[in-house]
Amino acid sequence: MSGSIAGQEFPSAPATAGPEGGSLERRSVLRALGLGGGAALAATALAACGSSRNSSSTGSIGDFPKTSAWKFAFINHVTTNSFFAPTQSGMKDAASLLGLPAPTWTGSENGVVSEMVSAFETAISANVAGIAIPLTDSNAFIAPTKAALAAGIPVIAYNANASGNYALAYVGQDLYQSGYQMGLKIATEVTSGDILVGISQPGSLNVQPRLDGLKAALAAKAPGVTVHTVDTGAAQAGELSAMESAYQGLKAAKGIYAVDAGSTASIAEMISKYGIKGQVHAGGYDLLADSITGVSSGALDFTIDQSAYLQGFLPVLYMFMYRMTGTLVFPPATDTGLTFVTSENVSPYASSKSWIEGGATKALVPMPGSIGLPAPSTVQS
Amino acid sequence: MAQQTPQLTRSAPPAPAARTGFGKGLLRRRELSIVLVAIAAFAYFSLGSYGSAFNTTNNYHIIMQYFAPWAIIAAGESMLLICGEIDLSAGFTFSFIPFVFMSFYNQGLDVPLSLVLAVLVAMGIGLVNGVIRTVFNLASFITTLGMGFFLEGMTYIQSGAEPAQPPITGTLGDLLGDWRWSELGWALIIVAVMQAALSYTKYGVYAQAAGGNPLSAAESGIKVNRVKVATFTLTSLFAGLAGLVDQVRVGSFDPTSGGSDMMFMSVAAAVIGGTALLGGSGTVIGALFGAILLAIIKEGFTLSGVSAYAFDVVIGIAVVAAMLLNVYISSLRGRYLR
Repeated sequence: MSGSIAGQEFPSAPATAGPEGGSLERRSVLRALGLGGGAALAATALAACGSSRNSSSTGSIGDFPKTSAWKFAFINHVTTNSFFAPTQSGMKDAASLLGLPAPTWTGSENGVVSEMVSAFETAISANVAGIAIPLTDSNAFIAPTKAALAAGIPVIAYNANASGNYALAYVGQDLYQSGYQMGLKIATEVTSGDILVGISQPGSLNVQPRLDGLKAALAAKAPGVTVHTVDTGAAQAGELSAMESAYQGLKAAKGIYAVDAGSTASIAEMISKYGIKGQVHAGGYDLLADSITGVSSGALDFTIDQSAYLQGFLPVLYMFMYRMTGTLVFPPATDTGLTFVTSENVSPYASSKSWIEGGATKALVPMPGSIGLPAPSTVQS
Repeated sequence: MAQQTPQLTRSAPPAPAARTGFGKGLLRRRELSIVLVAIAAFAYFSLGSYGSAFNTTNNYHIIMQYFAPWAIIAAGESMLLICGEIDLSAGFTFSFIPFVFMSFYNQGLDVPLSLVLAVLVAMGIGLVNGVIRTVFNLASFITTLGMGFFLEGMTYIQSGAEPAQPPITGTLGDLLGDWRWSELGWALIIVAVMQAALSYTKYGVYAQAAGGNPLSAAESGIKVNRVKVATFTLTSLFAGLAGLVDQVRVGSFDPTSGGSDMMFMSVAAAVIGGTALLGGSGTVIGALFGAILLAIIKEGFTLSGVSAYAFDVVIGIAVVAAMLLNVYISSLRGRYLR
């Protein structure tokens, strides 16, 4: 490597005598001890942070046959977004109910599809017992799903669905329909003018269909309304700033809406902060604390409950049943619901702070004395 | 009485061993420490409780999926760092170029021509970065930051905020990502070429001079500006290529791919590999091993089931621990070689 310039970090030079040999040795021993001790400490900390490995088989649960301690993997596109806190509670509750170890929760923090694909393939590599994943992209998850199924690992889609994919079932809300219903509701309040609609991840299949449904409903029922889309980003902290900036730019907006949890919470915060309650229509999705407070106080006209808890609970239950019965109980496609939460039915959501909706309390929530009538049933004919 | 000077002899230091031979040559390479740390991380996971799952071809493929785009972009970023510059827009070029390709393709041009044009656009981005930096003397941090935001928006506009399916098939598709290991091939070839350029060509010397002491370099007749513009162009070219190959492999051109995280990991790989942040010296092979180390750590902890909340804590501890080991090995090398 004589011609190489980059290699000449330490050209040959005669060694010079160092200071007292003794102190040099002591210093180097201390340094080695320090680094070795630091490395040992780091390794212990790493081991403590890691999850427990698969334990031996559990006793049987209820009246079911004995099974081994199956570990499921939940992949997610926004792993640190608080919308999915109830989903994580749901999956852990189901696992503990069935005597299984808590499923892992990995994926991407910002909706990056290739990170989700890598996490999916890593789960296959680790030979987990089942995988649940939101299908936020139509094409990227097809090959990994086929690989998982070929390896005998069931795959269930939750929260977001895509056509042309091979997950065994979809557990979640019909996204396009929910956007359409929201658009119909908006059309009853705002018939002309401008509205702002915040969306955290344009193009991502877990929220874009809602926006598409909303625009389609408005085009059909209230064509005089112009929709201005605001890209708020997946990280909750930035969503408030994005909505505020958009509102400052369009103070004449008749309505401020959003199609994802974080943006809805930001809208509720913003409306209270600016004191424009009642001056502007607003609404959105999901049940973050700020959104519930917004509906109770009147800042938001409505928010939509898609039962994040069940999106974590049911896939674990379904995968357990599928495995325990050797595919005899096939996971059913499940619509986890589209409930409009308005000032009329918001009180249990607001007062209970239940862990079902991401709160801290894990107490029994009392039933109301009487139950309000739901929307009348419809049957496809 | 003649004063006798006390004998102040001490035993002569041992004659230094001959600083030649393959072993010493290996020790002299600055990349040795990062290679050893990467091997240590690999051993940590191989011998752990998930060792059998870690040591499968499929798992190595997943590790490759992580480090290949970082290594490709880091090949350019490390050269830029050596020149004393940085490119913050590389991650956004990564997301943007596939959609440039789709625009050309959707206008009716065939796949190879659209690819060539997309790659030319990537080089154009780097050219603009370099020209603004050199002609207007605007710090590269600011220039590329602005370019990064610009490209981020352009990506959303070009893609309509929807992912697209890559229309590349056949042999060209295999070369560009459909064959499992093609991305690894690209990474190795690009790293080898850039390391050779750094070590054995005048361009490499000029780049180090431009980063180490720009004023003297210019006074010595080195065309510092041209070197920088060329390096910016190369970096954006590599970022665009990485974007195309990686997203063809995933099977989807996605506007949310790449971004600042991709750029940050590439720069981190370059710095971890031994390239000085302030310029003047560096190594491209080191950047490859820096990327490999980061990928092993990330993939290994995902494999062992660390959940998302604790994940970043674990990665942070692991990276610092690995770098402490790196510094320690470097100091050992230094003491042994002196």
